[in-house]
Amino acid sequence: MKFKKKSVMLVSFTVGTLLLATTALADIASKSGYDELKGAIKLTTEQASEKFDSFTLDYSMALKDNGKTLESSNETQKVDRKNSASENISSSLSANGDKRSSQSYSDKTTIIRVSESDPTYYVTEFTKERKDEAFTNPFKEEEAADLEKIVDAIVGSLKDHVVVTENPDGSKAITGSLTEVQIPSLVNAVASFQLKQEFNNQNSNQNNSKMPRLTKDVFVKEVKGSAKVNADGVMESILGTAVLSGKDEQGTVHEISLEALVKVMDINTTTVTKPDLTGKKVVKDIARYGDAEMSNPEKFVGKFKNDIIIEKDSKFVKVGERFVDITQIDGKSVAGRYYAEYKPEFEEYAASLSSFKFEAKFEQEQKTSANFEGTNDSGDKVRGHIYLSEYEGQVNFNIDNFNGSFGSGLMFNSSFSPVLD
Amino acid sequence: MEKVIEIMNLTKSYGNGRGIYDLNLDIYKGDIFGFLGPNGAGKTTAMKIMTGLIRPEQGDVRILGHSVTEEYEKALAKVGCLIEIAESYHYLSAFDNLRQLARYYPGVDHKRIDEVLELTGMLKFKHEKTKKFSLGMKQRLGLAAAVLSRPQVVILDEPLNGLDVEGMIDIRKMIQHLAEKEQTTFLISSHLIHDVELTCNRIGVIYNGKILNVENTQTILKNYATLENYFVSEVERNGRVSSSAS
Amino acid sequence: MAVFQAALLNELEKLYKKKKVLVAILLSLAVIVIGQLVIVGVRSGFGLRGTGSVEFPMLVLSVVVNTILPLFTALVAIDSFSGEFNQNSMRITLTRPVSRFKIYTAKITAIVLFILGALLLLLVFSLLAGFIFNTNSATLDSLGRTVFSYFVSLLPLTVLALAIALLANIFKSGIAVFFVSVLAFLALKVLGVLFSQYSSLFLTTQLDWYNLFLVNSFPILKILRQFLIMLGSGIMLFTAGFYIFDKKEF
Repeated sequence: MKFKKKSVMLVSFTVGTLLLATTALADIASKSGYDELKGAIKLTTEQASEKFDSFTLDYSMALKDNGKTLESSNETQKVDRKNSASENISSSLSANGDKRSSQSYSDKTTIIRVSESDPTYYVTEFTKERKDEAFTNPFKEEEAADLEKIVDAIVGSLKDHVVVTENPDGSKAITGSLTEVQIPSLVNAVASFQLKQEFNNQNSNQNNSKMPRLTKDVFVKEVKGSAKVNADGVMESILGTAVLSGKDEQGTVHEISLEALVKVMDINTTTVTKPDLTGKKVVKDIARYGDAEMSNPEKFVGKFKNDIIIEKDSKFVKVGERFVDITQIDGKSVAGRYYAEYKPEFEEYAASLSSFKFEAKFEQEQKTSANFEGTNDSGDKVRGHIYLSEYEGQVNFNIDNFNGSFGSGLMFNSSFSPVLD
Repeated sequence: MEKVIEIMNLTKSYGNGRGIYDLNLDIYKGDIFGFLGPNGAGKTTAMKIMTGLIRPEQGDVRILGHSVTEEYEKALAKVGCLIEIAESYHYLSAFDNLRQLARYYPGVDHKRIDEVLELTGMLKFKHEKTKKFSLGMKQRLGLAAAVLSRPQVVILDEPLNGLDVEGMIDIRKMIQHLAEKEQTTFLISSHLIHDVELTCNRIGVIYNGKILNVENTQTILKNYATLENYFVSEVERNGRVSSSAS
Repeated sequence: MAVFQAALLNELEKLYKKKKVLVAILLSLAVIVIGQLVIVGVRSGFGLRGTGSVEFPMLVLSVVVNTILPLFTALVAIDSFSGEFNQNSMRITLTRPVSRFKIYTAKITAIVLFILGALLLLLVFSLLAGFIFNTNSATLDSLGRTVFSYFVSLLPLTVLALAIALLANIFKSGIAVFFVSVLAFLALKVLGVLFSQYSSLFLTTQLDWYNLFLVNSFPILKILRQFLIMLGSGIMLFTAGFYIFDKKEF
């Protein structure tokens, strides 16, 4: 009897352990539809950024109110990874009825843009070859792993709503749908609040829009998604639909649905063609910004100035001028002098910081900006930041701790324009 | 005579050297058996084993022919007991406490609960929660619980704890009454020698975890002036003088 | 069986007499009232629907299954074991002709019945509140799933009760058991987030397993696996808890 009781306990404990262990292993080994979806997205982006020579991405989006299209947009991106070239064709219909379409082309040395409303071809030529990847893998970014964990945790038990059906040819269909009961109420509330705010904000900017203004009983009614994965595990298309339901002031029920479709097509068969510019109106532009290195920094040698202004008797009054005099510049460093000149009747505003010399080395990445250190007339250190804007033809000159002189009512402007006369 | 309790080779040792070693004892029907021994001699340990509160290392106890370790429910079916302090659920009334216990015994109805409350003089506190009870009242309730099921065997560990003189007399009367009228067998442990002398008809001396001797009270009182003398001489005979033990 | 029934009846009576039930009812109703007030507030304040009539019970369930239900379970389980160990009142039952197995099982059953009662109470009242105060969104399907969700939540809560009963048999002090339980609960919640791929093995995740029954495709394999995991851990916890309880000396 005694022996029997012990063995029963032992057996039951063992059975429990085995049951737990085997199912646990099976559970860990089993891939949920969600995992498959994630895997397919990862594989697709990885292959797109590393393996495919070329492919076409097609994004389309539509916003509908009770089945009536309010907004739509479509974008086709052809990527030739081998030649680092890409072509973009996009068209959209906005809520107030405006249609827009534009096209762009980009390769290592050129960017060409054209839009329907303006048939001019804007061509930007780069003096140096760009190293931009035509397509980068977002999962290779540093934060991706952490972000993935957070997403996993948020998705939580909703994972199981993703269903995978395998087709005989090895391709798979991944589908998922959530209706209002299945969406956790808290998620639904937060999401619908967010959407409502966003939606109504957009509306208030466009008074003439066809968009309904939802004020009551807003909730997320349904979220659906489906994806096709081919036999190689590459995702060919993914479609997502969300339906937001709510009432407007008049009490009319609106079902706003948002549909988004992404397709990956023509893998390794996409060709990117440079637009033929012959006989077209072309505006050429040499790349002067956006590139790290300045082509001819010497142009910044000289004086830059702005006005010193105070507020007096409800008017702005100029009391003098500030100057940044750049005496020496090359690809690595910049040096010069800062000084301020006051009109004789405003001499009392002249502060200790009215003049100092500075020297700065450019930051490695950005060859147009630098932190400087200088010494003023009384021997104190002065720190600040200088930024040479090729685009604006200006010098941005910031002095740390300049606030001190604000007390006297002086206003500081960090933009200095060239003295050209 | 019919053996009601058979204690066989019972061993249970505690870390501090206390416990019981190879205890053997038979208790017969109709006995009011007194377990006499100093504190820590092993009386409570033996009784706890009999009532399933602890498990023996070796040996077994049979009550009415059923092993305590193997057929606990059968062995205890006709046993009532009170071990150490009488416990009760303090958030329940006296009646509810007894009704809880009554559920385990077929044939114990509300009338019987009133009966035992009457028997122990607790009827007037029937609907009071036990948290307000004095030690003596709790002890009376504990005794009521012990005899509730009309048990054939009653095991009482220090039943007179906390009782006043009147209470002691009442309880003693109750024990003798039950033993006579219902042929109930009692196993009572006590350190109050005088009380054991008055209540019990057979006495076993337990010392350091062993039974030294078992004798009829009448026989003892023939040979010794008092039970105390018998106890001291028994202990001395076994080479361990402990006149202070009581 | 009669003995087990008696033991179970005793445990239930003790629960009831300790005003535990009353506290549970009041707390459950408070949750529903507060929840409904929040929903009404959200509706009039933010213009959101909040929840429909069927979603409200689901909202209530999603909240209570991670808060007051585990709390009730812990309190009742700790009281049933640690409480009686400490007051020595366990002896009252132990010295009766009832085996320890039956006592242990009766105690667990009483706790499970208590949880079931709490779930039913929450279900009934949240359904009522849902229908009275919220826009009707019920379909037979969603109503069925809602009721079902409440019932299946009993299983993970039972496993939780078994786990706490085991702890109560290991540790002497009820307060220690309570704190260990709370810490373990929180730790498992955090681990479930950090290791979400293993989270289905954690009891804290299993508390939300009713969500599986809401899935349109009814993932029967996943449900079966979860069920077996809970069954396995339940058997283990029960056996371990009973083993210690059976060896205990009083």
